[in-house]
Amino acid sequence: MTSNPLLEPALIRRLESIALLVRRAVKGQMGGERRSISRGRSPEFADFRNYSPGDDFRLIDWNAYARLDRFMLRLFVAEEELPLSLFVDLSGSMDWGSPNKAQTAKRLAAALAYVALSSLDRVRLTVFAEGPTSGGAPYRGRHATQELFSRIDSFPVGGPTDYSRLVWPISRQRPGMSILITDGLGESAIDPAITALRLARQEGAVLQLLAPQEITPDWTGDARLRDAETGAEREFTATPVTQAAYRTALARRTDDIQAAARRRGLRFARLTTDEPIDDMVRRSLRRIGLLA
Amino acid sequence: MRFLAPAAAALAVTLPVILALYFLRIRRPTRVVPALHLWPDAIRDRQANVPWQRLRFSWLLLLQLLVAAFLVAAAVQPALPASASVAAHTIVLLDASASMQARDVQPSRLDEARRQAGALVDQLGPQDRMTLIAVEATPRIVTSTVGDHAAMHRALDGVTATNGEADLSAALVLAAGAVRPGEDARAYLFSDGIAMPLRASFTTGLPFTVEYRRIGVSGENVALTSLVVRTSAQSRAAYVRVQNFGRQPRTVTLDWRSDAGLIDVRPLTLAGGQAQDVVLPVPDGATTVTAHIDTKDFFSLDDSAIAIARVPRAFRVLLVTPGNVFLEQALRLRPDFQLDVIAPTAYRGAGAYALTVFDRYSPGALPDAPFVMVDPPAGSPLAGGAPIGIGRVRASDAGDPLLNNVSLQDVHVARSEDLTSSSFGRALVTSVQTPLVLVRDQPFRQALFGFDIHESDFPLRIGFPILVQNLSEWMLPPTVPASSFHPGEPVTVVPEAGATSVAVVRPDGSRRPLPLGSIATFGDTDQVGVYTVEQTVAGRLDRSWFAVNLFSDATSQLSPIDNLTLPPAQLVGVAVAPHQGFLQIWPLIAILALVLVLAEWLAFHRGL
Repeated sequence: MTSNPLLEPALIRRLESIALLVRRAVKGQMGGERRSISRGRSPEFADFRNYSPGDDFRLIDWNAYARLDRFMLRLFVAEEELPLSLFVDLSGSMDWGSPNKAQTAKRLAAALAYVALSSLDRVRLTVFAEGPTSGGAPYRGRHATQELFSRIDSFPVGGPTDYSRLVWPISRQRPGMSILITDGLGESAIDPAITALRLARQEGAVLQLLAPQEITPDWTGDARLRDAETGAEREFTATPVTQAAYRTALARRTDDIQAAARRRGLRFARLTTDEPIDDMVRRSLRRIGLLA
Repeated sequence: MRFLAPAAAALAVTLPVILALYFLRIRRPTRVVPALHLWPDAIRDRQANVPWQRLRFSWLLLLQLLVAAFLVAAAVQPALPASASVAAHTIVLLDASASMQARDVQPSRLDEARRQAGALVDQLGPQDRMTLIAVEATPRIVTSTVGDHAAMHRALDGVTATNGEADLSAALVLAAGAVRPGEDARAYLFSDGIAMPLRASFTTGLPFTVEYRRIGVSGENVALTSLVVRTSAQSRAAYVRVQNFGRQPRTVTLDWRSDAGLIDVRPLTLAGGQAQDVVLPVPDGATTVTAHIDTKDFFSLDDSAIAIARVPRAFRVLLVTPGNVFLEQALRLRPDFQLDVIAPTAYRGAGAYALTVFDRYSPGALPDAPFVMVDPPAGSPLAGGAPIGIGRVRASDAGDPLLNNVSLQDVHVARSEDLTSSSFGRALVTSVQTPLVLVRDQPFRQALFGFDIHESDFPLRIGFPILVQNLSEWMLPPTVPASSFHPGEPVTVVPEAGATSVAVVRPDGSRRPLPLGSIATFGDTDQVGVYTVEQTVAGRLDRSWFAVNLFSDATSQLSPIDNLTLPPAQLVGVAVAPHQGFLQIWPLIAILALVLVLAEWLAFHRGL
């Protein structure tokens, strides 16, 4: 763990005391520490239901049979794993800023993944730019941490953003939690991806990650602007007036993403890369109810 | 439309230059941004270092081209034909007298006159001549140019108000001299009409018509019109006269100060047109006393008056005579004369006497100082020819100030030396037979009587002591003048015997040296206030003072004259060709250019 450059050991230790907060019960494939919509074995009573052939007769409530003269099954809340899907934007626009947005996104994804793995949750990683790239088979258990971190760190950064290409991998997700980490600055609309999260019954969040230099540009004068994703260029003269217009456009873009997320029942947070990962996780993401 | 400065059209080269600058491209550093589509489409070329790009529309370019075009249009000075015609030669008579300092029109009458004259300047065509004459106590031609509007405006701005009166007659004579025979000329008098009475007899009329433009609206003014310090046997007192020249009753406060501080404050209420005399104490040891009224009216020059409170310095005067009670009494009338009377045999020279009167006696060597020689005996260098009988006595020049208040009627002289061939000086009193009294200015002021006082009834007339007073004051002006002088009035300064330097310090502190060795006339008295005469005698600095005050009822009577009587025009042989003036519109264009500059500034800052 100490050899991994993504997260410092001290940070990893602090992450062990944090857990993902799920609003509703989820149904996973394996036992875990999450309440599941499946009724299973656990100390926590959930409900009764009529017995049907094939049911585990060990769950028959004999006291109820004595009173009601029919077989009733005691249902318990099953503690199952949480399927966590991380969608990390590694397009060209993320390769910008100081600290670098892509690197920060990787570290944030690693932190969230570690929180999930330490709770025996299942983590599926997808990075995307022009198209989605799977991070491999789902990861589960702390022993997968090193492999997952190496995988995250190995993805290249670049290319344009196409959120519509995320619809297919999202729709294939089992109900669970999905977290989309992006700057939201691609030319394509982010709405299809957010809508797909809702349709896939994903509980989750959209985390917009920006660099402080793009929130408040600190330069004026003449320049040839080059788009980090498309390479398109345009001559430009920055004045206080044009800087204000840019800030307005950026704020409008952020507001649109936030509105779309909330409309679909997703959490939203705008993070800046100058905020330490520790603070992001323990403060900003707790504030929106993503972590506990 | 005509263009008064067509050569300025060359400035239009700035338009293609501006356009060319927009063709040039600037070398811009590349900046990678995460989302180009969020940046507004704003581009402005401000630097050119890479040649040629496609011209893009820019509001800045449009505005800059318009600004340049308007400035060029203003520079060529377009002019429209004016509704009023102007003459080929326009004479501007600009009143710069004291009354033009009045502020009944803002900011002042002179400024208003300058403004109106400036509007006239703007109507002149390129071939029109304009002559500007400042109408002051001594009128002067300020400038005379052809078609140079800027020079005329500068000359107008350079005219400042004086503290003297306006000598309109002299100004008209100057103007007439500036007009060539047969020239189409017209004069414009910008004045409040308060001027010295026309004295020149323009019998042949003026070679131009004079159009009077009245300046000023109000005559409301309270003034100090007199301040005199009198010394009597009992006390010294000052007599101040305050007059309300307006129609409305006014209440003023009179401050009375000496150079040591405030002495008295008196409130005065004056009905319209009323004058009031106030007697005020003069403290011992005071050098000057000042009266000031707080009027808050339109004219401040007559709100203060100053007088010299010093006791005059005494002059030692020697009368050498075998006996002449008339001369002796007449000389004793001067309070500042210490008169010594000696017989001719006792005369040992003029010595320290400032004035010597020789009666029927002539010393071997005449003093280098003021003297009066009466009936020099034969053998004297000043003696005339054989005595001749005298008929009627008359003044050589009735306007001579030395004969002020001196009546020569019923004056008879039995006989007098024949001074016809005398080279002593100019005749003051004369007769058909011979001049009777001669005076001269150089090297010192001196007088020569050709007749014995006793052989005339002149000493029995009131005119005799007055003539002696006039002569003595001419030769030895009192160190403290009895009254103040008017602005511009010449003042006679008599240097002390043995003075090594003489200078006059004006109220503003400027120092004007005077020539030594003779009586000097100091005429640089245009400022009101106290003038100090400083003389160095034997290493000691000796000071005397005189005051200059406005004290002019004609000026303080501030009401502008509605109808000023001016000499008629006698236009002989003047070919008045139809001549149209011009109305210059370049100031309007320049203002539009200024507005466009502001718009360009706004456009730049709004990133258009």
